[in-house]
Amino acid sequence: MRVLFFAHLKDVTGCAEMQLDCAETDADGLWRQLLAAHPGLERFRGSVRLARNAEYAGPDTRFSNADEVALIPPVSGG
Amino acid sequence: MHLEVQLTHAPIPASLPPPAAAAGAGAWVEFRGVVRGEENGRPIAALEYEAYAPMAEREIQRLLTALAQPHPCLAARVIHRLGVIPAGEAAIYVGLAGRHRAETFALLAEFMDRLKLDVPIWKRRALVQMPEAGRTDLNPPPVGAHGGTRPTPASPASAEEVRTLLARICQPLDTERVPLAAAAGRVLREPVRAPEDQPPFDRSAVDGYAVRLDDPGPQFRVVDEIRAGDWKPRTLRPGEAVRIATGGALPGDGLQVVMKEDVHAAGDTLTVLRRDADRNIRHRGEDARAGAVLLAPGAVLTPGALALLASVGCVSPTVTRLPRVLHVATGDEIVPPDQTPARGQIRDSNSTLVRAFLASWGIAPEQRRVGEDELLSRPEIGPPGGEPDLLLISGGASVGDHDCTRRWLEAAGFTLHVTRTTTRPGKPLLVAQRGRTLAFGLPGNPLAHFVCLHLYVRAALEAWSGRAERTEFAPGVLAADLVGEAHARETFWPARWHLQDGAAMLTPLRWRSSGDLTPLAAANALLRFPAGAAGLTRGSRVEFLRTECGS
Repeated sequence: MRVLFFAHLKDVTGCAEMQLDCAETDADGLWRQLLAAHPGLERFRGSVRLARNAEYAGPDTRFSNADEVALIPPVSGG
Repeated sequence: MHLEVQLTHAPIPASLPPPAAAAGAGAWVEFRGVVRGEENGRPIAALEYEAYAPMAEREIQRLLTALAQPHPCLAARVIHRLGVIPAGEAAIYVGLAGRHRAETFALLAEFMDRLKLDVPIWKRRALVQMPEAGRTDLNPPPVGAHGGTRPTPASPASAEEVRTLLARICQPLDTERVPLAAAAGRVLREPVRAPEDQPPFDRSAVDGYAVRLDDPGPQFRVVDEIRAGDWKPRTLRPGEAVRIATGGALPGDGLQVVMKEDVHAAGDTLTVLRRDADRNIRHRGEDARAGAVLLAPGAVLTPGALALLASVGCVSPTVTRLPRVLHVATGDEIVPPDQTPARGQIRDSNSTLVRAFLASWGIAPEQRRVGEDELLSRPEIGPPGGEPDLLLISGGASVGDHDCTRRWLEAAGFTLHVTRTTTRPGKPLLVAQRGRTLAFGLPGNPLAHFVCLHLYVRAALEAWSGRAERTEFAPGVLAADLVGEAHARETFWPARWHLQDGAAMLTPLRWRSSGDLTPLAAANALLRFPAGAAGLTRGSRVEFLRTECGS
């Protein structure tokens, strides 16, 4: 699974993207793996939305190894 | 509805024709969102935007399609620019064609609101100064890029280039609320407004007697007394006066206060001896109207500013948090100051210098002493949990066998922005970054430490603090010759400055070697000696940076 980080999350993780090897899981399972790799993300979890293949994930979204997942912190375009 | 969505790194054209699908439209509405020249009260040169491009394009299309249901329009064109956008240029363009203006305006307004909620585009940072073209070493990649490529070794940088770099990569830190008692020297990050008119009521500017403006007197009967703190509104009748103290609230409108020196009072009978046009009243709202900004973001909370905050009840102002600082003194030859050095050893004076320097910023650093071998054997040198904002490593930075700071920084995954400077003392200086941590490798000798702390570390602290005013070099005049010192490199001399006839006079404090501590004890300035200058005589115009505590 390819995981993308944007904005200040890049500073937290020190990278713009990472590869995560994971069995199909839900958002909670995905967050457990992300926090294991980058504990610094914990304090941002409440404000970050997950996107799967360039669409916002819903409460029932499942994530699999073939997906591109993005962590979307609060946006500030315009 | 016809849609055109584009994310681009190029400037948005100054004029764009309506799309063909807009034919038959009664309204063609264009909006440009322009980068303003200030952010959080600080002047900026540019904003940098980034996007998750495929998703951003899709979200913009989805939004427009959804909003076209309640507000049917004919065509929409949205262009969002990414990358570094100079102030005054457009970050976003929206062009909308509709049959009537009502739905077109409505769609535009809602689209802009929703864009700021859902479309994955971010203002990445405000740039204080434009990046210099072609200087890749001073134009660092977005932080955190260390996981991939190792940057090419940085070319030598001038002091000004390093300071510019630091001002750019150190964005104001987060804010916190602190009680007034702990806020001295901190930087305000929210505007503080007058909650009510200042002063909130008409009050007397003198000790005296309030009488009606239209009452010529000169005989009055004293009907009441108002002290500061009293609140006694009343309507004065002709012939009546109220004794009033300085600061006392006037009992009503249309009054004048006659100074007590200008009257003769006997019991409650008052005779006005002299009366001029001055009403001796400080009027409501004279200092500031309710809602007026008393202090803007970026203001340093001086004793006077704190008193102002106290006067309007702002008891826990929002200020920039202090950076967390870790200082590591390396070197096998140093011993703590309270120990007697063995032959070949010296006392560690840098830790004291660093601590005192940071104390003037209200910062108490975590400090450690680590031998060079020990340093290289540890991937992390900080306390567990919490990366510091600033990591200062003293010593071990000389090129050659003892170049252990650089090796440690590289091994720990830091990206090196500066590895050499063209100035002296202060060589070699290292500036590196990993995630949110900025690291300096400071040359081990105390003079170079002093110079680097004031030239560079202070630039980072000021940028982080969000203060509106930065310490810059000021013009001064040499008070003594500084000749025979021609050097190919820009040199900074510790100096002592004083004011004389309105000019800052600078006496250079010469050093023989950069390990020389005696000039530092008297220094209150750094004097800039330009590269290649043959010598400067007394009376020459020079530039200097003040180094007094807290300056």
